[in-house]
Amino acid sequence: MNSAPIVALTGNPNAGKSSLFNALTGARQKIANYPGVTVERKAGMAALADGRMVKLIDLPGTYSLDPSSPDEQVTRDVILGRQAGEARPDALVVVVDAANLENHLCFALELIDLGLPTIVALNMLDLAERDGLMLDPAKLSADLGVPVVSTVAVRKRGLDDLLEAVDAATRAAQTPSAQPDLVAPQLHSSDANVRRRARDIAKAAIISETPVRRWTQRFDAIFLHPVAGLTILLGLMFLMFQAVYAWSEAPIGWIEDGFAAAQTWVAGNMPAGFLQDLIIEGALGGVGSVIVFLPQILILFLFILLLESTGYMTRAAFLMDGLMSKVGLSGRGFIPLLSSFACAVPGIMATRAIPDPKDRLTTILIAPLMTCSARLPVYTLIIGAFIPARPVGGTIIGLQGFVLFCLYIAGIVGALLVALVLRRTLAKGNNTGFMMEMPRYQWPRMADVLLALWQRAWLFLRRAGTIIFATTVALWLLLSYPKAPEGADVSQVEYSVAGRIASGIEVVVAPIGFNHDIALALIPAMAAREVAVSAMATANAIEVGDDEEALAQSLGERLQSKWSLATALAFLAWFIFAPQCVSTIAITRRETNGWKWPMFMVGYLFALAYIAAGITYWTAISFGLG
Amino acid sequence: MTIRLDQVPLGHAFRITRVHWDILSNEEGRRLREFGLDEGVTVTPAHRGSIFSRDPLALTIGRMQVIIRAGQAAAIEVVPAT
Ligand SMILES: Nc1nc2c(ncn2[C@@H]2O[C@H](COP(=O)(O)OP(=O)(O)OP(=O)(O)O)[C@@H](O)[C@H]2O)c(=O)[nH]1
Ligand SMILES: [Mg+2]
Repeated sequence: MNSAPIVALTGNPNAGKSSLFNALTGARQKIANYPGVTVERKAGMAALADGRMVKLIDLPGTYSLDPSSPDEQVTRDVILGRQAGEARPDALVVVVDAANLENHLCFALELIDLGLPTIVALNMLDLAERDGLMLDPAKLSADLGVPVVSTVAVRKRGLDDLLEAVDAATRAAQTPSAQPDLVAPQLHSSDANVRRRARDIAKAAIISETPVRRWTQRFDAIFLHPVAGLTILLGLMFLMFQAVYAWSEAPIGWIEDGFAAAQTWVAGNMPAGFLQDLIIEGALGGVGSVIVFLPQILILFLFILLLESTGYMTRAAFLMDGLMSKVGLSGRGFIPLLSSFACAVPGIMATRAIPDPKDRLTTILIAPLMTCSARLPVYTLIIGAFIPARPVGGTIIGLQGFVLFCLYIAGIVGALLVALVLRRTLAKGNNTGFMMEMPRYQWPRMADVLLALWQRAWLFLRRAGTIIFATTVALWLLLSYPKAPEGADVSQVEYSVAGRIASGIEVVVAPIGFNHDIALALIPAMAAREVAVSAMATANAIEVGDDEEALAQSLGERLQSKWSLATALAFLAWFIFAPQCVSTIAITRRETNGWKWPMFMVGYLFALAYIAAGITYWTAISFGLG
Repeated sequence: MTIRLDQVPLGHAFRITRVHWDILSNEEGRRLREFGLDEGVTVTPAHRGSIFSRDPLALTIGRMQVIIRAGQAAAIEVVPAT
């Protein structure tokens, strides 16, 4: 069955390999406009015209088969057949950027020289035309000695021709004489002779070249300006956090109303008892309390997606390099850190594109300090309950959005300080370089953005339906039993198994101002941060029982009446640092090949969380906010 | 008259006369060549990331823009391209 020929998509970073891969296989690999998006190999099946299947492999982009970072190593290993458990590819599709031929042909020449059946996909022809370039694929093919197919991956143009060429190449690969012994590449893309040949071939393939004013240069005059550019970057970040509040209010209200209606319906239409309680208190009350934050998470993602797809991300890295180098990192690390605002797991994966191992390790260890979207529900709940919704002193800036912005900044500052210490102690090393290609600007493609948003929404809902639901229901059970005796002056929550465990934890966390509610939420929140919210919602639902007046209150209002402001602030400070996410710990183990660094990460983050919460609490108390 | 690439004014084209590969690490040297930065090539320094330091530097080479640090630019000798 595994006889389908293997065809690897390879080429320079950002040439459009993943876009082609998605178009050919129907996969949904991440695509973004900066070099180093794909960091691992991904396989998918594509059907040829005669129904035969080929196994396509999408690879990280690289400049040569001499890797300088872990992602580039993957590409080398797969192409040379050194990847464990995978046969060497039968044919290669080298994807080149038509508007940057001279450079991309160097690696293409190195690959063609390997002797495998090879096809060159002359991609991004539309962008070449935008830049006033007319190319001659036939001439290029003659000079390179391999088939050249013109493609525009994002418009699915040239796919049939490409598949036809793949068909021919894989047939050729089946004849034994066409199987070269791959030992090591003979040509090197950085070799002066190869570069000269690439330049000559590229020049010969150009039919005409009309100079046009390139948008990229005009935009960069503003976006890369040391003062204006930095102001715009900070402004964008600020706008992002304001928008998370301002734009989400209405949709959050609709979702809340929806869940409330569902609860009422269940209460009226289901026999009272175990199942009804489970659904109202655990499922709808607990999980629902997390799902209401979907609009905020999507707004955050929309911003990140736009930054990634326009090509702005490398500009941000360029502007941030100065600051990053002060703490021993490089601008390259800014990109994984910014994606960690969405989730630290892909952020940590993305560090594979960082060449220096110590630089990379440090970036991995501080990635969890970037405020991920799973913290939004916690932050929003507490901010909504304790911070008034009014503008900051006579401006149009909302106070709630401002506090949220400060929490993000606190995470960033914390991360930079930790990096500074690590780079002088455990991850000591020379200050590394920062070398990166800057892509051209592109308009984001609305269909792609919407699809990516939908994917995120689905991922979040699945998370809510599985890990968050399971943890919340387990907690509900532990909170519901044993039943407190009728008329006892102890509440059901405190009498339950979970409540008693929480009382034990409370002893440890009481010095930093945490109460029983928080102690109860901390352990289940290790599964996922959002569970802190659903846990409190569930406990609250059980506590409230049938009390009509209390039922009408939102969770935020209930907390407001029970907690002091000092406790609320300490809880926020805790969440800036606490490593409450098993997935992050697991991915750190995988990416650092062992338990040493994830253990270190968990330890230092909990210590920081405890200290930060303690300082916040006692400072607030001394200002009379107890 | 040769100047080092980290010292030149922005917005003007320069031809690379010499690269001191010995003061660059192997990886750095290779990546520079992979970016097309080699002797004989014309580059235009386009932007600097900060008003306080010479780091990082954005260069235009042909149709491509790349970012390097001043440390690497210091290994590259150039003359004004005419
Ligand atoms: N205009 C245009 N844009 C394209 C084309 N192909 C890809 N792109 C865009 O180019 C950018 C890079 O595409 P990817 O498919 O992520 O590139 P990649 O080669 O997989 O990049 P790495 O994984 O980083 O090596 C994205 O913004 C795409 O939307 C094309 O034919 N025309
Ligand atoms: Mg890719």
